Amino acid sequence: MTTSLAEKTAVIADAAPPQPSRGRDRGRKGRNRREEGPLAGRIASNVFLWGYAIVAIWPLLLMVSNALRTQQQIATEPLGLPIPLNFTSFQEAWVTASFETYFINSVVVTVGSVLLSTVVSVMAAYAFARTRSRFFHGIEALFLSGLMLPVHLAILPLFFMLDQLRMTSNIFSLILVYGALGIPFSTFVLAVFFRQLPLELEEAARLDGAGPFRAFWSVMLPLVRPALATVIVFRFVPIWNDFFYPLILMRDRDSYTLPVGLTRFFGEYSTDWPQLFAGLTIATIPLVIVFLLATKQIISGLTSGMSK
Amino acid sequence: MAIALPPRRPRLIRTASHAGVHMRFGSTLVFVLPALLLFAVLILYPMLAALSYSFFGWQGTNRDGFVGFGNYITLLTREPYASELWGGFSHNILLFIGAFIFQNSLGLGIATLLHKRKRSKRFFQTIFALPYLVSPMVIGYLWSLMLSPLFGPVNAILRGVGLEGLALPWLGDPTLAIWVVVFVTAWQWLGFPILLYGAAIAGIPEEISEAVSLDGASAFQRFRYVTLPLLTPSIGIITVLTFIGSMEAMAIPFALGGSSGSPAGATDVMMLLFYRTAFESGNPNSVGISSALATVLFIFILAISVGITRVIRRAERKLY
Amino acid sequence: MKKRTLMLAAGLSASALALAGCAPGDAGSDAGGDSTTLKVWSWQAASSPDWERIFDVYEDANPGITVEFEGFQATEYNQLLSTGLAGRDGPDVAMIRAYGGAQGPIQAGQLTPIDDVVDGLDLFEPTVLQAAQGREDGVTYGVPFAYQTMHMFYNKDIFDENDLEEPKTWDEFIQLQDDLLAAEITPMALGAREEWVLPMFHDLIGSARYGGSEFGAQVQAGTTDFTNPDYVASLELVQQMQQYFDPNVSAIAVADATLQFTAGQAAQWPGGSFDLKVFQDSAPDTEWGVYQVPPAPGSVLSEAVTPSYADGSFGINAASEKQEPATDLLNWMTTVEFGQLVGDELKQFSPLAGVSYSDPLMQEMNDLYLANPSPYLLLVDFRYGDPTGTAVLGPDIQAMFLGQKTPEQLAADLQAGISTWFTPGS
Repeated sequence: MTTSLAEKTAVIADAAPPQPSRGRDRGRKGRNRREEGPLAGRIASNVFLWGYAIVAIWPLLLMVSNALRTQQQIATEPLGLPIPLNFTSFQEAWVTASFETYFINSVVVTVGSVLLSTVVSVMAAYAFARTRSRFFHGIEALFLSGLMLPVHLAILPLFFMLDQLRMTSNIFSLILVYGALGIPFSTFVLAVFFRQLPLELEEAARLDGAGPFRAFWSVMLPLVRPALATVIVFRFVPIWNDFFYPLILMRDRDSYTLPVGLTRFFGEYSTDWPQLFAGLTIATIPLVIVFLLATKQIISGLTSGMSK
Repeated sequence: MAIALPPRRPRLIRTASHAGVHMRFGSTLVFVLPALLLFAVLILYPMLAALSYSFFGWQGTNRDGFVGFGNYITLLTREPYASELWGGFSHNILLFIGAFIFQNSLGLGIATLLHKRKRSKRFFQTIFALPYLVSPMVIGYLWSLMLSPLFGPVNAILRGVGLEGLALPWLGDPTLAIWVVVFVTAWQWLGFPILLYGAAIAGIPEEISEAVSLDGASAFQRFRYVTLPLLTPSIGIITVLTFIGSMEAMAIPFALGGSSGSPAGATDVMMLLFYRTAFESGNPNSVGISSALATVLFIFILAISVGITRVIRRAERKLY
Repeated sequence: MKKRTLMLAAGLSASALALAGCAPGDAGSDAGGDSTTLKVWSWQAASSPDWERIFDVYEDANPGITVEFEGFQATEYNQLLSTGLAGRDGPDVAMIRAYGGAQGPIQAGQLTPIDDVVDGLDLFEPTVLQAAQGREDGVTYGVPFAYQTMHMFYNKDIFDENDLEEPKTWDEFIQLQDDLLAAEITPMALGAREEWVLPMFHDLIGSARYGGSEFGAQVQAGTTDFTNPDYVASLELVQQMQQYFDPNVSAIAVADATLQFTAGQAAQWPGGSFDLKVFQDSAPDTEWGVYQVPPAPGSVLSEAVTPSYADGSFGINAASEKQEPATDLLNWMTTVEFGQLVGDELKQFSPLAGVSYSDPLMQEMNDLYLANPSPYLLLVDFRYGDPTGTAVLGPDIQAMFLGQKTPEQLAADLQAGISTWFTPGS
């Protein structure tokens, strides 16, 4: 999904009634006491959590493990371990099955569109936070509405437009589309942030003679860095995963991104199981890396809608 | 709310004394223009155009005359659209119900248990969230391999533990296949409600819970009269999100059953129907009909989301 | 905030009507130049390397022309092709499904008529060429590239190890299956999860039983229909065969079944000539054989028949800016050189006369076909409307395998589905 649902939370959460304020420091103490519950309960809770952890992670581990085995091993022993490790499938998928191309396209599209939407959004968000014009508040509301709309359904006019401009099968058009799709979420998060920044610093800069551009560039931008990180991480995941836009807008194999490349790959190499698993793994690894690097951002970002 | 809140400071009252910080119309426009252009051209225009397309007849990609609600009538009454629309729609609803049940039982349960953890909390959160972050396309294909009747590990395990009878043709039997899609979707989605519920529970003031405990309330009573009412807004939000997600589902059904929702349309959903209709060759009016479908879907999603929000608000008032 | 957003959305929706639909206008043409790249699309993804070798020959003979071959998943191809033909950067040349399958793009005006620009169309049998013609206008839109024949493939090694032989009669055929079962070998591998496989299997097992082309002619004339007892009996044969598959056959995709067969886990493969190459490539050390299923008791035809069909053709995207080089390519496709390459590289049968097959198994298959051909009825004659014959029978056979429908119901469903658009005698 291009506008990830996590992003939509942010906005809907805003519309929800406020919750009673929490007493965090006092809460800590209480929690410690509760953790010493009855032994049976603790065991049951452990069994339950570990049980579901296995359900959640096992298919992904299996994917990696089978990518490192041979066809013969998978056919005869579906549950065996990858001993010895066999990396040939990765090599084959990477080179012969064009995963190299798909991968590079995915990286270019994801990085490019995240940059694009972040740059235009941070500017717009700053303006929204500092304007008093009803016109611009209207535009802000318009952007916001983009979070709720099922934008996928507008694919036909978009396709015709890009087709007329001869921009189908051109990953630049994906960058533009995803860049535009990121605007609602990014401006929303950044505008909220800008509004909460103290005005004094900026005011001081302005009194020193800096125009709105200087003030934005040298004073505000450094302050807004944490929010930028959130925005970047949050846009990265849905763009990397999306298959809908490239499915329709990209027709050339050379312009495929990973999720669409996968659909082709599954037709072409359908009998080569290790390679299929290797392809899936290649498509997943960058996400896992991003996730592990930015666990804190993701978890706190996902949940920030709740911790009002 | 805020994401990564900046250090809190006493809120400034924005009076005239800060007027120097506000921007004039011209400079504001410069800041907003790039985003506005992108948004207008690539989102707003296509959305409005899609709506207008649905009221015209089409000859391939050339617009014919105005047909009013003609395309809508075709969509709702003519075969195969009518039955495919209904089939796809009912599967979308099943996806929603499945995810709803999973997240409010398993998801809520896990979130409650995790709340009491201190050291292992982040570890479990990370593991539970992983499937949610992986591409639905990858998830779908992965499960299609896992459920393969001949070489798939799922049936191998079932046979291994003596449950031969349960080693079923998961993706071959229409009555089973849709449940596989429902399960896989719910499985992938669950990480998100776990995190959200976790945060909501963490936000419940400890002293309320304690006070009620001291009054001699049982664990169930505590849940029913303290946790549940305070969680209702979160449940509402997640329900709306789950609903939107279920209606827009495409990648997992596509990976498991292809664009026609095999077997026998059992895994068809509305986005797939839209995809098939939009470029259907042989039907010159495919643009008109698919745009009508898009509009119907759009209105439906909007209306139900608003409806769910209303119901939850009412429930909230009752529970408090 | 929310209320305002909603109001805004409502206002915008109201103004949407005023917006004119912007659709692509005419295409500018900037074709030509020294080098031209032709994009060729196909549903034969698995044989992409073979197709690429074929087009390499053309590229060598025509400097400046590059053929970019793209193989797609067969089950997704129709959808992708209609998406591709709708836009401007679709294929220049595309594989078009045969007979009824070609009518969609033809009616949508997405293909270039080729009668006047491609020579050598008269080299094709009229029945074959018909596969690439418009039903209504009789105009030709594609050059047929192959015909497919259906056979029972078997693993010779398994047969030898178990002292089994090709069956000559129905009783021998059944005995063979039972012997394999007794030896704990899955007799047949079938990708029954994919609907298109099943009507083919039905024709392979039951064509002689219902009467092949004779029956087809009677349906066309209106003297009988699909509820005919002979046709029902042919569907009963399919049901009878279910015991010889893996118990979960309805969940097995073609790829899984292929693996099952080539890995020696199943003895036979009821399939088409297009499968041969896959088997030879994935298990080069195994020796394969073919036979035709003998006629079942009560069969209308007394001999085993080989069901067959024209597979598809290459047509030109009407929106392509490279009409001329595309036409040249199609002209090449009517030469024996191309036909021979199809036979050698793809191991498929070319509809062009004068092509010889060096592979003895292919030669045997072709001989079987020439001795007793029979049209794959539902594909050849009953794809001209919606629902197509195969679109009804495929899912219905799946339902029968799952015990949800009887052969009588299948025949009735088929007749009812066809009747929505087919009137006999027309």
